[in-house]
Amino acid sequence: MDNQKVLQDVTKEIELASSQEALQIVKVTYLGKKGRITELLKSLKDLSLDEKKSKGAEINLLREKVQALFEVKLKDLKTLDINSKLNTEFLDITFPPPGVSAAKVHPISKTFDDVVSIFGSMGYTIAEGPDIETDFFNFSALNIPEDHPAREMQDTFYISDRDEKGKPLVLRTHTSPVQIRTMLNQKPPIKIIAPGRTYRCDSDSTHSPMFHQVEGLFINENANMGDLKGTLIEFCKQFFEVQNLKVRFRPSYFPFTEPSAEMDIAYEIIDNKLQIGKGDKWLEILGCGMVNPVVLENCKLDTSKFQGFAFGMGLDRITMLKHSLTDIRSFFNGNLNWLAKHGFSLGEY
Amino acid sequence: MKFSYSWLCDHLKTNQSPVQIGETLTNIGLELEALSDYSSYSQFVVATIREFKKHPNADRLNICKVDDGDKLYQVVCGAPNVKEGMKGIFAKDGMYIPGTEITLKKGKIRGEVSEGMLLSERELKLSDDHEGIIELKKDFPNGTDAVTALELNDPVFEIGLTPNRGDCLGVRGIARDLAAKGAGILKPLDYKKLDSLEFESPISWNIEKDGNSCNYVISRYFKDIINSKSPDWIQNKLISIGLRPINALVDITNFITIDIGRPLHVFDADKIDSLLNMRKANDGEKIKALDKKEYQLDSAVTVIADKNNPLAIAGIMGGSETGCTDNTKNVFLEVALFDPSQVAKTGRKLGINSDARYRFERGLDKEMIEEGLEYASYLINKICGGSVSKNTSAGKLDKNTHVIDYNFNYFEKVIGLQLAIEVQIKILKSLLFKINKITDKSCIVEVPSWRNDVLQPIDLVEEIIRIQGYENIEIKSPYATHEEKEKVTSSLNNKKFSVTKKIKKTLISNNFSEVISFSFQSERAHNLLKGDSSLKISNAISDEHAYMRSSLLFNHLEIIEANRKKGFKNLSVFELGPVYNDSKSQENILFGLTSIQKYNNKHYPINKFDFFSLSELISKIINSLNFDMKNFNIDRSQSILFHPGQSAELHMGKKLIARYGKIHPVVLENFPKLSNTFGLEFFYENLPIETMYKKKLNKTHDSSFQFSEKDFSFIFEKNQNLFEVHRMLTGIDKKLIQNVEFFDDYNSSEIGDDFKSVTFKITIQSDEKTLTEEDLEDVHQNIIEKTSQKFNAKLRS
Repeated sequence: MDNQKVLQDVTKEIELASSQEALQIVKVTYLGKKGRITELLKSLKDLSLDEKKSKGAEINLLREKVQALFEVKLKDLKTLDINSKLNTEFLDITFPPPGVSAAKVHPISKTFDDVVSIFGSMGYTIAEGPDIETDFFNFSALNIPEDHPAREMQDTFYISDRDEKGKPLVLRTHTSPVQIRTMLNQKPPIKIIAPGRTYRCDSDSTHSPMFHQVEGLFINENANMGDLKGTLIEFCKQFFEVQNLKVRFRPSYFPFTEPSAEMDIAYEIIDNKLQIGKGDKWLEILGCGMVNPVVLENCKLDTSKFQGFAFGMGLDRITMLKHSLTDIRSFFNGNLNWLAKHGFSLGEY
Repeated sequence: MKFSYSWLCDHLKTNQSPVQIGETLTNIGLELEALSDYSSYSQFVVATIREFKKHPNADRLNICKVDDGDKLYQVVCGAPNVKEGMKGIFAKDGMYIPGTEITLKKGKIRGEVSEGMLLSERELKLSDDHEGIIELKKDFPNGTDAVTALELNDPVFEIGLTPNRGDCLGVRGIARDLAAKGAGILKPLDYKKLDSLEFESPISWNIEKDGNSCNYVISRYFKDIINSKSPDWIQNKLISIGLRPINALVDITNFITIDIGRPLHVFDADKIDSLLNMRKANDGEKIKALDKKEYQLDSAVTVIADKNNPLAIAGIMGGSETGCTDNTKNVFLEVALFDPSQVAKTGRKLGINSDARYRFERGLDKEMIEEGLEYASYLINKICGGSVSKNTSAGKLDKNTHVIDYNFNYFEKVIGLQLAIEVQIKILKSLLFKINKITDKSCIVEVPSWRNDVLQPIDLVEEIIRIQGYENIEIKSPYATHEEKEKVTSSLNNKKFSVTKKIKKTLISNNFSEVISFSFQSERAHNLLKGDSSLKISNAISDEHAYMRSSLLFNHLEIIEANRKKGFKNLSVFELGPVYNDSKSQENILFGLTSIQKYNNKHYPINKFDFFSLSELISKIINSLNFDMKNFNIDRSQSILFHPGQSAELHMGKKLIARYGKIHPVVLENFPKLSNTFGLEFFYENLPIETMYKKKLNKTHDSSFQFSEKDFSFIFEKNQNLFEVHRMLTGIDKKLIQNVEFFDDYNSSEIGDDFKSVTFKITIQSDEKTLTEEDLEDVHQNIIEKTSQKFNAKLRS
C-alpha cells in the first residue's frame, strides 16, 4: 500500500522535474539518506524475519524501479540540455564574409618563377648585377661605343654620380651587363640567366621607365646558333604552354651579338582574345644572337676556343602576352584591385 | 626609311609583288614595318560640288550638292575651303573611313540630311592635314576612283633599319640587298656623266687641319640656272614618301639623299665668298639653320664657313641665309665625307635630327661621293639648265678597301649548319663582295665600300646566313649536363631565389599582397630619408622619380593611400626589390607595410594587428627559412622611420636581418589616414643562406613521459632585454627545458617606475624517465638562481 503510494508519488515528481538539479532534489527526497524509500528500508529493522524477507524484497523492487525511472529521466534531461545548448549556440552561418580579396602574388613574380625553373631545367644558373651600372658594363664592353647610333636605340637614365673613369653612371638599359660581369669572373663553360630590373626614359602604355628583362648566356667550345634556336623555342613552348608553336627567327642587329636575330611568335585574334602559337601575324618576343667575338675579347676570353650565344627578353612583355594584359603601367602602380584580378593565389604560385 | 614600289623598281628589275618584296625585306633583316595598300580606296570617287549654302542651324557648316557623275547627293560639310565647282573625294553612306575608323551612316546633321562625306587627307590617312577637304588640282571626270585620282596605285614600304645598315638608307642599297637574295636584278643607275665641264669653279675649298670632321670634299659650280619647280616624276616620288616638293634644287638633293643614300648640299653661290673653309666652330659662334632655328656652336662642332660666317653645320644641316630659293641663279654643290662619330656627337648635342645626320652618323659609302656628284650634276643640268664647272676639291679620299681572311669552316662552327664552299662564295659574291685566293679551306674577302659594318669573319658568317635564311638553321634540342644541374642546385643565387620565394609565400598567407614599385623616390622622400646625394638621376622623368630609392617606405605609403582612397579594405602590401645606399651599393630586400583601418563587421573583425602581430610575422618568416629565433638578437631600433617605442631590430651576429615596427608619426604627416601603420624591412641577403641549406633538422623529441609546467614571475629592471632572458632560459638545460613562453608583463607603482614584472611558463620534460619532485625542484632552483644572478632580477612570491 505504502509502496504503491510511494511509486505513484515519485513517478509524478520525476515527471515534473524540469532540470537535472530538480531531478537530483527528487532523488534525494526518495533515495537519499533520509529519503522516503530509504526510510521504508530502515523501517524493516523492526519487523520479523519473514516479513523482513517479503517486505524487503518488495521495497528493493520498488527501489530498483524508481532508480530506473531516474536514469531514464536523467538521460532525457541531458539530451534536453544539450539540445538547448546547441539551440543557444545556433549561428546564422549564411552571414556573408566581407568582400576582402585574398592576397596575391604579382604576375611578374610568377613569370620570374617560370623563367628560372624552365631555364634551370636546361642547366642555367641565376646571375646578378647592379641596377646602377658603369658605362663600361652597360655599353662599351658590349661593343656599343660612345657616339655610335646604337646608343640611341636605348634612352638612357643617367645618375649624377660618376664612375672611376669620370663617366656618368647609368641605370642599366638592359640586363646584358650581367653577361660581361659573369664572363670577367667565371671561366667557361658559362650557362646563366640574369633576370632583373632595367630602365629607359620612356613612358606610355607599352613602355615604362622601369621594366624587367631576363638575359641568357651560354658560352662553351661549341654552342651554336642551332642550339640557340632550340633553346628559345623550347622555352617559349613551355612558358606559353603551347606545344605546336609557330615561330620565326629573322636577322637583326645588336652590337654585342653577331649574327643577331629577333624571334617572333605567330598569333591570331579569336573572339577578341590573343591566341599565341599559330596564325599569320607575328609578335616580336626577344632578341638574341651569337656573342660577338669583340665582346668575348673585351672579357679576356680566347675567341679561338670559346663561343656561345646570348638572348634577352622583356619579362613584362611576355607576361602581358601570356595573360592578355594590355597596359604595362598597371604592373607598377600598386593598384590592388588590379592585382586581385590578375595576380596569382598561393595555390597557383 | 620609306620608299614606294615604283621607286624600288627604278633600281630593281623584279617579278615579286609588293607583298612578296615586303616578306623578303624582313627575311634579310630589313624589317618591314608597314606596307601601305590603298586598293580599298577605289570605293571613294571624284565628285564636284555643284552648289552650296549655309546650314540654317550651324554657322560653320555648309550644305553642299555633290555630283559623283551618277546623281546628286546632299552632304553637310564643315570644311572651310568648300566652293562651287570644286572637285574632291567623296565617300557614300556605309563606307568605312580609315582615318577616323568610322563607318558612315545615313543621318541628319543638325536637322539636315547628309548622304556622305567629302574627305580630307587625314580622313584618308594620307597626311595629318585636316585644314580642309581635298581639292583635286587635275580635272578628273566625276566618278573616277580615288586610287587613280590621287595616284595611290604605288604601294609605299616603311622599313625599320638597324643602325649598322647605313648602306640601306638609299633605295638603291635596298635594291642591291634584294638582288642578292634573288628578288630581282639590280639595274644600272639612270644618268650620264656630263662631258662638258667648261670652266674653273670661282669658289674653292680649304680643310683646316684642326681635327674637324671633314676628310674630303668635292664641288661643282652651276652657272645661270633656273630654279623653278622640279618635274612631276621627282615631285611624285617625294610626295609618295611624305616629303613636300619645294623647288628644283632642294627637290633634287632630297631625291638623291633617298635614292642613293647620299646627302649633299647646295649653296646659293651668290650668297657666299669665293673660299669655303671646313673648320671647327669658334666657341659662341651662331648659325641660323634651314629649320629656321638659331644654334649656338662650340669647338666640338665642324662648320662650313666663308671668310666671315659659318654657313652650314657639317653633315647635319645647311644655313638658312645661304640656301637656294626660287631666285637662285648660281649654285655651289657640295659633296663631302664627314666622320660619323663627330657628326653623331654634334647632332645629339644640338638636338638636330636631319636626313643628312642620320646617314652620315651611320657611315656612308665613300665611293658614292663621285657618283653623287655626277648624278646631281646631271639632274641639275638637265632640270635647271645653265653650265657646269670643273671639279674643285680638298682633302684626300682614302680608297683602300677592307679585306678579311675567311675560313669556310667557321660558318658551320657558329651556325651549326653545313654549307658548301661554293654556296658560301656564291652568296658573298651576290652581295658584291670580291673573293680572292680561294683554297679548299679559306679565301680572302674584299668588302664593298658601302659595307662599313662588315669588319671581321663573323660578319661574313652573318651575311651568308642572312641571305641563306635563318629558317634553314637546324633546331637543336636544349640539354643540361650533370655538372650544369649540380651547379644550378648549389648556386648561391638560386638558393637566394628560393629564399625569396619562401618569404613571399609566408607573406601572402598572412594576407600581404605583392606589389612592384619603381626603384625611384621623390625628392621629398629622399630628403626625409636623408638619402645619399649620389643617387640623383640627372634626367629623371619627373620630380616624383628624381632619386633612386633609399627605402621603399614612401612608395608603399603612396600605394596604400591610393588604394585606401579607392575603398580597398586589406591594406597590406610587400615588395621584394632593391634599395640603394649610394650609387655603388645596392641591397635587395623585402619590404612590407600594413595599415590598420577602422572596420565595422561584427562577425569578421579582420583588422587586429599591432606590434606583436608584426613580431610574430617576423618569427614566421624566420621559421619558414629553417632558422631558429634563438640565433638572433632583438634590440630597439634607432631608425628615424619608426616609432621609438614600438620598433625593433633583429640581428644575427653583427648583421642586420630585419627592422620593423610602427611607422613614426612624423613620417606619416602627409598621410593622416594612415596613422596606424606598421612596416618591416627584411634584409634576407644578410642571412647565412649557405649554412641554412647545409643545416640538418634537430632530432625532435617525442617523449612519452609526463611533462610539467611551471610559471615564474620576476621583477626585472625596466630596460632589461627579455629576448636575452628567453635565450638564457632555453639554454639552461637543453635536455629538460622543452619550452619557455613569456605570457604576461605589467608595471605598477608598487614595483617602481624603473622595474617591470614579467611572467613566463617553463615546460619541463625528460625523454628518459618521469621526473620526480626533486628533479623538478632542481630545475626550478636552477632557473631562479640563473635568472636572478644574470639579470639582477627578483623572484616574486
